[in-house]
Amino acid sequence: MTEYLLEARNLRKQFGTNTVLKDVDLCLSAGEVHAIVGENGAGKSTLIKILAGVHRADGGSVVLAGQSLDLSSPQAALRHGIVVIHQELSLAPHLTAEENIFLGHFPRTPLGLINRRKMRDRTRELLDRLSIDIDASVPVGRLSIAQQQMIEIAKAISVDARILVLDEPTAVLDAHRVDTLFELIERLKAQGIGVIFISHHLEEVFRIADRVTVLRDGERTGTEEVRKVDQDWLVTKMIGRDFERQAKRKRSMGEVALTLEGLSSEGAFEDVTFELREGEILGLAGLIGAGRTEIAQAIFGLRRVSSGTIRVLGRLVSIKNPGTATRHGIAYVSEDRQAFGLLPNRSVRENATISNLARFRSFGMLRLDREHSFVRDQIDRLDIRLPSMQSEIRTLSGGNQQKVLLSRAMANRPRVLIFDEPTRGVDIGAKREIYSFIEDLAENGAAIIVISSEMEEVLRLADRVLVIRGGRVAAELPGSAATEERIMRAASLD
Amino acid sequence: MSDAIPSSTPSTRSRPGGGAVIWHYARQAGVLAALILLVVVSSFLNDRFLSLPNLMNVLRQVSIVGILAVGMTFVILTKGIDLSVGSILGVSVVLFAGLMESLGMAVSIALGLLAAMALGLTNGLGVAFAGVPPFIMTLGMLSFARGLAFIYTGGTPVPILDERFYELGNGYSFGVPNPTLIFLAVLLISGFVLALTPFGRSVYAIGSNEDASRLSGVPVSLYKTIVYVISGGVAGVAGLVYASQLSVGTPIAGQAYELDAIAAVVVGGTSLFGGRGSVAGTLIGTLIIGVLANILNLTGVDPFVQQLFKGALIVIAVMIMARSSRA
Repeated sequence: MTEYLLEARNLRKQFGTNTVLKDVDLCLSAGEVHAIVGENGAGKSTLIKILAGVHRADGGSVVLAGQSLDLSSPQAALRHGIVVIHQELSLAPHLTAEENIFLGHFPRTPLGLINRRKMRDRTRELLDRLSIDIDASVPVGRLSIAQQQMIEIAKAISVDARILVLDEPTAVLDAHRVDTLFELIERLKAQGIGVIFISHHLEEVFRIADRVTVLRDGERTGTEEVRKVDQDWLVTKMIGRDFERQAKRKRSMGEVALTLEGLSSEGAFEDVTFELREGEILGLAGLIGAGRTEIAQAIFGLRRVSSGTIRVLGRLVSIKNPGTATRHGIAYVSEDRQAFGLLPNRSVRENATISNLARFRSFGMLRLDREHSFVRDQIDRLDIRLPSMQSEIRTLSGGNQQKVLLSRAMANRPRVLIFDEPTRGVDIGAKREIYSFIEDLAENGAAIIVISSEMEEVLRLADRVLVIRGGRVAAELPGSAATEERIMRAASLD
Repeated sequence: MSDAIPSSTPSTRSRPGGGAVIWHYARQAGVLAALILLVVVSSFLNDRFLSLPNLMNVLRQVSIVGILAVGMTFVILTKGIDLSVGSILGVSVVLFAGLMESLGMAVSIALGLLAAMALGLTNGLGVAFAGVPPFIMTLGMLSFARGLAFIYTGGTPVPILDERFYELGNGYSFGVPNPTLIFLAVLLISGFVLALTPFGRSVYAIGSNEDASRLSGVPVSLYKTIVYVISGGVAGVAGLVYASQLSVGTPIAGQAYELDAIAAVVVGGTSLFGGRGSVAGTLIGTLIIGVLANILNLTGVDPFVQQLFKGALIVIAVMIMARSSRA
């Protein structure tokens, strides 16, 4: 591997006086999968954006197949065959998969109209070549996220991508879909395409990558062949200190805080029954789409219940909307931070308290001093890093955003908390802080439900695991007996 | 991805956010600077501009649109729009005029304001509960309310004979035109409500992310309804000033005022995409448009040409703001 396909040397980038990339090298061979890992803020995104032509490097060079590249614009990057697949997909939902693939370079008839037959044939050929089995004639909005991702990759290949950059492609996929994606990546490799793979999931690095580069604080702390390293090596390089594995803490449980009896919601889940005690963390595991989020939504008044009952501290409650759920002491942190969590252009302070402004009201007016001290406490408690509580929340990193949303849930002094994918898109450091925050809450008597697609997360936190499959409780496993394998089995075998 | 923001170490993590905050104030300050610049330039262009009577005149002239713009600010902050304020103003004007003789001043004012709020309530229910897009709902109301005003008057203006009523629009208190005082009162109350009440805070939240607000327990539909009631009610207050100034209830009162009100809000830095802006900005936006019109008048610019200036001003203001929010 002396001849690299892509050779980026000494890339440097500054924003104001803040250096976000310091002399970073990145080399990629044809047919190689090269993973880039690092905490949020380590510089991964900046590096990608330089390759994609979104940002201009302040120093360094990028050489592709021996030629020095001009990456002054996204169009220039595309011309060189560098295609980035972002986490938020950029397909037009109302156009079909075929149309999306050929958007901007439609095959034409002599009259200049779109040559639909040719488009169809070429799509067929392309999808066959990549072994993607999707009906390309339906609007992509009707495809699943996983399928849309495949289409976006196919689109990249259709413009002769030589280098494909996948930015956290697995964040939105469940375990099965990840397998399918990895198979596709293997086929891309076989065709000599160089793949740069960004992920927060270290086990994925070991599954798919040939080499890995670790970034920390804008510096490259290591590049190594994956088969030569282990997880501890990666984590140490990422956080700059040894990663102490934390044992599950012991907790004592109190009264039954939440009882679901035969709860059903049409088309989403059926006959869900369980009890949750104060001080207990209940894990809801299962595949994406199994109905876990829907159960949480029903408890929080976001989804109509067709039959069954909900009790809070033994009392039968009727929850019609999030307002009543909140009054019954239930809080919910959504899995989709962008859509259902953040007030993006409002301050951290306003984001933290919007769920319970009544708490800071006297004589109809907000007591800004009380609000301020509440937010101050939360910032200290969760170690939220920010310049000022007046900063717009969109300017924070994913981990810090999530911590602010946890504070928001706390503003109601809830007794029952539901965390839906609490660490999605969050770096390792923040992840551990969020875990210990959740554990602290349980120790202080809160009843907690954690919904997660990450096995490790469920196993780490839960005292008991309910596995949901096809809208039903497929298995109940005590924390001590739950293993990754048993959960997977219950979640995916029918 | 979230770590697109240039943040690397805890100590430097503060920079991007700090920049955003400064930038935010810079935008507000930018609008204010534009107003100051305009005033300075105007004072050189015409020596009558800075005279007290002329300045009071500007303040009086901007009052009606200013009042409408304050109500509009509430709606736009929730990512809505209210195209019907001019027509609602028209309805209140013909009601004030038509009812005054038979029912007396107080009752006719109360009924006119109530009617304006009722039309706003209809807008609000349509938007918040029936799910009609704000543009469509209020476009319908623009036509509907105007129709009501014409039907009520049979198309002919109704004179107002009670001379005590003229004071409201034409008189002065403490040396300041009464309409301006009403404008400032509406502005101050609104600014207070937006900044310091849970309702006001929630208005921003709804505009920033409606779904997230709903999940946080904010009564989104109720509050969205209320902002249209406010906008309608405030249009009634503007109608009061209008009727008093003209001493006649004409069914064409307030035609196209909604566009001036929207312009004032937008020039004042409030985002049409919701969740960002303030009534302070709306005051500045109203004044920029008012001062521009005044200096063009004083310097004898053709009224037709004045329209070009106003149009260009609106577009340039929004262009500058769009650029800044992308950064």
